[in-house]
Amino acid sequence: MSGKASSSQASIGGLGSGSVSHVFIQYPPLRCNIPGSRGFYYDDGNKLLLSPTSNQVFSWKTAPFSPNAAPNIDSITEGPICSIRFSLDEKLIAVQRSNTSIQFFHRETGETFTHRCKSESESILGFFWTDCPSCDIVVVKTSGLDLYAYDHALKSLALVETKKMTVSWYVYTHESRLVLLASGMQCKTFHGFQLSSVGIIRLPKFEMVMAKPEANSKPVLASEDVYIVTVYGRIYCLQVDRVAMVLHSYRFYRDAIIQQGSLPIYSHKVAVNSRAPISAPLPVLFRGFPRSDSFTSRPGTKESESLEASDSNDNEAIIYGDGWTFLVPDLICDIANKRLWKIHLDLEAISASSSEVPSVLEFLQRRKLEANKAKQLCLAITRTMILERRPINMVAKAMDVLVTSYALSLKTGSYFKGIKTERTPSSVPNVSGPGQGEDVNTGRTDGLGKSVQQESASRVNSVSVGRSSNYSSETEDSSSFEPLKISSNDAQFDSGKVDTGARSSATGNPLNASVSEQQESQLTSPAISPDEMYRFVFAPAEEEMIGEPSYLVSIILEFFRSANLEKVKVNPNLYVLTVQLLARSEQYAELGLFVINKIIEPSKEVALQLLESGRQNFQIRKLGSDMLRQVSLHQDYVLLLVQDGYYLEALRYARKHKVTTIRPSLFLEAAMTSNDSQHLAAVLRFFSDFIPGFHSTSDFSTYYHILNEMNSSSVVA
Amino acid sequence: MLEYSFSKPNSSRSPSLVTEDLRSFISKIYTVYSTNSASFMGLSSIGTASDGMQLCIFDLRRGQHEGQELDKILYFFPADLPFSTQLSVIGLSEGLITFTRIFSPEAACEVIEAERHSHVFYEAEPDIWMVMIVEKSKDSEAIWRIDALREVLKEIHSLFVMFHGSIRALLEREPGGGLTRAHLYPFIMDYLRDFLVGKKLQLPSFRDCLMERRSVQMLTVGREAAIEVQTLVRILESSAGNLPCFSLILFQDLLVSTTLSPEDTINLYKYAVLRLTPLALSSGAKSWSYLRKGNSSSHVSIGSTLLSTGSVSEQFYGSHDASPAGDNRYHVTRPLQHDKWFKGKDGFLITDIWGGDIGSLNVTTPTVWLHQTEERMYLCAYQYKSLTIILLIPLSSILNGDQGVSILKQQLLENASLKILKVEEKLSKGWGGENAYHVSGYRYLLVDGNRDISRASPPTKVTTLSKESLLALNRLREEVDAEKSRAKWDNPGREKDLEVCIRAKNNAWAVARITGGKELYMVLEKANETLLYASDAVEKFSNRYCSGTFSLD
Repeated sequence: MSGKASSSQASIGGLGSGSVSHVFIQYPPLRCNIPGSRGFYYDDGNKLLLSPTSNQVFSWKTAPFSPNAAPNIDSITEGPICSIRFSLDEKLIAVQRSNTSIQFFHRETGETFTHRCKSESESILGFFWTDCPSCDIVVVKTSGLDLYAYDHALKSLALVETKKMTVSWYVYTHESRLVLLASGMQCKTFHGFQLSSVGIIRLPKFEMVMAKPEANSKPVLASEDVYIVTVYGRIYCLQVDRVAMVLHSYRFYRDAIIQQGSLPIYSHKVAVNSRAPISAPLPVLFRGFPRSDSFTSRPGTKESESLEASDSNDNEAIIYGDGWTFLVPDLICDIANKRLWKIHLDLEAISASSSEVPSVLEFLQRRKLEANKAKQLCLAITRTMILERRPINMVAKAMDVLVTSYALSLKTGSYFKGIKTERTPSSVPNVSGPGQGEDVNTGRTDGLGKSVQQESASRVNSVSVGRSSNYSSETEDSSSFEPLKISSNDAQFDSGKVDTGARSSATGNPLNASVSEQQESQLTSPAISPDEMYRFVFAPAEEEMIGEPSYLVSIILEFFRSANLEKVKVNPNLYVLTVQLLARSEQYAELGLFVINKIIEPSKEVALQLLESGRQNFQIRKLGSDMLRQVSLHQDYVLLLVQDGYYLEALRYARKHKVTTIRPSLFLEAAMTSNDSQHLAAVLRFFSDFIPGFHSTSDFSTYYHILNEMNSSSVVA
Repeated sequence: MLEYSFSKPNSSRSPSLVTEDLRSFISKIYTVYSTNSASFMGLSSIGTASDGMQLCIFDLRRGQHEGQELDKILYFFPADLPFSTQLSVIGLSEGLITFTRIFSPEAACEVIEAERHSHVFYEAEPDIWMVMIVEKSKDSEAIWRIDALREVLKEIHSLFVMFHGSIRALLEREPGGGLTRAHLYPFIMDYLRDFLVGKKLQLPSFRDCLMERRSVQMLTVGREAAIEVQTLVRILESSAGNLPCFSLILFQDLLVSTTLSPEDTINLYKYAVLRLTPLALSSGAKSWSYLRKGNSSSHVSIGSTLLSTGSVSEQFYGSHDASPAGDNRYHVTRPLQHDKWFKGKDGFLITDIWGGDIGSLNVTTPTVWLHQTEERMYLCAYQYKSLTIILLIPLSSILNGDQGVSILKQQLLENASLKILKVEEKLSKGWGGENAYHVSGYRYLLVDGNRDISRASPPTKVTTLSKESLLALNRLREEVDAEKSRAKWDNPGREKDLEVCIRAKNNAWAVARITGGKELYMVLEKANETLLYASDAVEKFSNRYCSGTFSLD
């Protein structure tokens, strides 16, 4: 909802000529030009870019991304290669040689074995490794799924389970752990399985929507038209209906697949004009999430590319080509030039492009990759918002976002985890976990999410020039029309509450992609603790906003409200600051109510500040001393009483609460200054009675002497 | 009556014992004098006409020459008393004040206890005195606490100042005094009408000893609700733009929030409870209809015979009837007039007291004078269900008068309605009802003198106490009052801790504990024989409801 405005704004900005791009790719790219290369494969399970030659496989780690990464080289035997994937422990290399056989190479020992189809009637469509507890590799065949466990001793595959069904083609992404099997005449009937570390979940069979061009013709759905998309741990599927020129989206739940909405795709012409390179970040567009628009602002991307290109000043001048393939989650493989680019989000640009501060904060709070940067930005934005005296309700929303995000990070533990990782590599300020997992959120995160495009390994090579351009046209179109479209659809996308029927019954257990990723990724969180709010937002704001502190108090109050709702504890210093501000503007009545109603929670710091601020106002001072007593700071309370001349009350209180640390001389001196010999005698007597050996102290003799003098003088008088 | 009396050893006498004795000595002399002179000067006969109460206001700086004595009288109740009698009452008071000032220039006479009357003095402004004379009838109900009566005088004066400014200022505006009298008379009459029970004025008696007049009763709210309330306060005050303004929020008859100084809070709170809260409105609104538009002769209520003036003094005090007939010499607003406030359709409370026509909804916005800022403010009152919100905006900051105010009201509705709804809902949820602050087994009064806040057992519960117990507590409170005022003179600015337990004839305990400016009064009827038991009960109460304030031992 709230993302809507900003996304439209952002994408408009993105299309404008002078606007800042939200996404950039950093020069230099990873060059992966290998002589004799037979194409590129992307192994999304291990995030490896693979390039086989006739007898070798070059593999580059893409996470963490480094342009200087050196390839690992493994030897394989010669032969045709349909697809290639490393096992998840990276010990085995599996190469699909034909539609009947897959060859396995042990990387250390060099041992090989070959797995073949048993029956002649079936052929292998593809395979993938899995972290499912019962099996290691899944082979997708025209007759169904075969689940195998790798037997280390026998160096062979042992069949664990077979799922029989007719399969025309399939799509799989490691991120979602979801395999969708297409069947039927039109290939629009789907079976789905999620094979995660938790186990295997079979999804209900469902049909995708296809329009008919004419009465008799039945279009066939192609695998290129179906994408599995993971948005913050939620799994969606996007389907392009080429006949109706509509993009459908579906959300997966354990027990249901719910169509979320459809968006029209427009003619190819416009796309040609804009010439934007994109294969598949479609979901982004349709979601209308702020995160998403970063991907959609492709003209910007291009701009930055060309800038870099001119900088680089070599034969890489034309970087963008039809050979661009987008990989999970943030890579671009330029097949033609044999380069791998990493896509970066320009957080500054994104946050600068929108005036809808709460949404920007919400977006930034979801950053995991550049958590520290996002956090710094959040702090700066919040501070600026206050200094600019934005309307209170807007700041209130911002506070809600920050506090909610913090509360969530406490629950998931990511806040502390983040702190830990931040501390260990002290030289690296921007910690990005090796997992680079965007989607470590538990399924309950809702709303504005980042969408990540999925591409299965087997496909990189097959993405033809034509196809890529097709897609680019479609997506570009829809991006430009996005603002209009979103308004009609985002309700369905965004809030689970809006939908009816099956949806609401299913919301209980949405299919969660991130189960296993959670363990993998070591992440930091941009969440801001109340302590940091105080140190980096309120305290600096207070320093800069001299005079008329009323506005700042309103903001702090909103923060208290948010914190109270989320049951987050507020830094006592912020309470102290509140007392100072209210006292400075002489809003004593309000300050009194703040303290009495415990909006300002009692603490020693607050009590002392109240005493300090109470120099001008007796009532406030009183509140301070009451608070000292309330929080059982007996010694401070007794001292205060003595200071104020209530030494008898102080004695009584000290006796009751066993405060023994205060020197008797303090009381005696106070009694002496009151010039009341009876009181002085009483105090002397008190100490003589309750402190053993007090008679022999110098205090006793001094004041005994004084007492005698007082008495004799009064007699004389 | 007192069977047992107990007081802390440390509440010992202070060095100024001598002056103390002198003062009481003088007061004794004057008791004798006043008794004699009162009967001599015919004071004793007054009571019959006015049900035993006289109330006068006079200015010592006026009428100092022979033949001009009437000048000093600013107000006298009952007004139909012959001037000679009025003058004799005032003359006596004046004499006492002048005499006692010789010994105590800072604070002259406070009270005179004569055989049949009590004279309660209050110097409202320098040289402007209010004196209340109550008759000690044989009626056993006529037992007062002097300080409670003085509180009535204080209340009259501070409410008057809130609406009309100080008496001295009025006198300076029109040295003849007519303006002042024309303001004072209807004001106090309207005020006193609240004390009418049947045809009798019922002044605060011993039955009201578990009450503190000049204090505010507050609603206890949880933290979450408190934050919501304060957010609302900020929204309210920000809807006036950058103008400095104040607000007061009440739930039912209890204060929820204030941004005013304690003094102004007490006055506005009192006014709200008297005339603005849903409870106060409900009595008036029923009888009101548009048919009565324009015909605002309000002089019809029950006490009219008692509170109306005879024709003799009508000229002297100016017309007490503020009917817009136009034959008044002065245009006098009567803010305490009954049944004059109504809730408009937009939720704002309206009245034609300040002029205008209620039928056409074209009314002049009420104004009050704030003690704290010494500035005149527009008073806008808004009501939603049990929530009453009062917003005060300086006159000086709104240029185009009523029109500006109505724009402001519009803004207020736009900005705050949602929040008001939310706050009302939250407070209603947390509201424990009429008896929310009842503590079973206890009848108590808790006064926080530092903040002018009090809380007491609900009146319906207090009435279950026997007369004996109430009298005992009344007596105890008088003692404490005396002790407090003594301490104030001996040691200004110092608080005195005090603890007194007395046992009444009916074996009830009356307890008073004072510490750090906070006071707790309590009647325990079902307490056991021992003092220890009573003390324990107080301790428990203190720990449970006063965060241990009163449990020092």
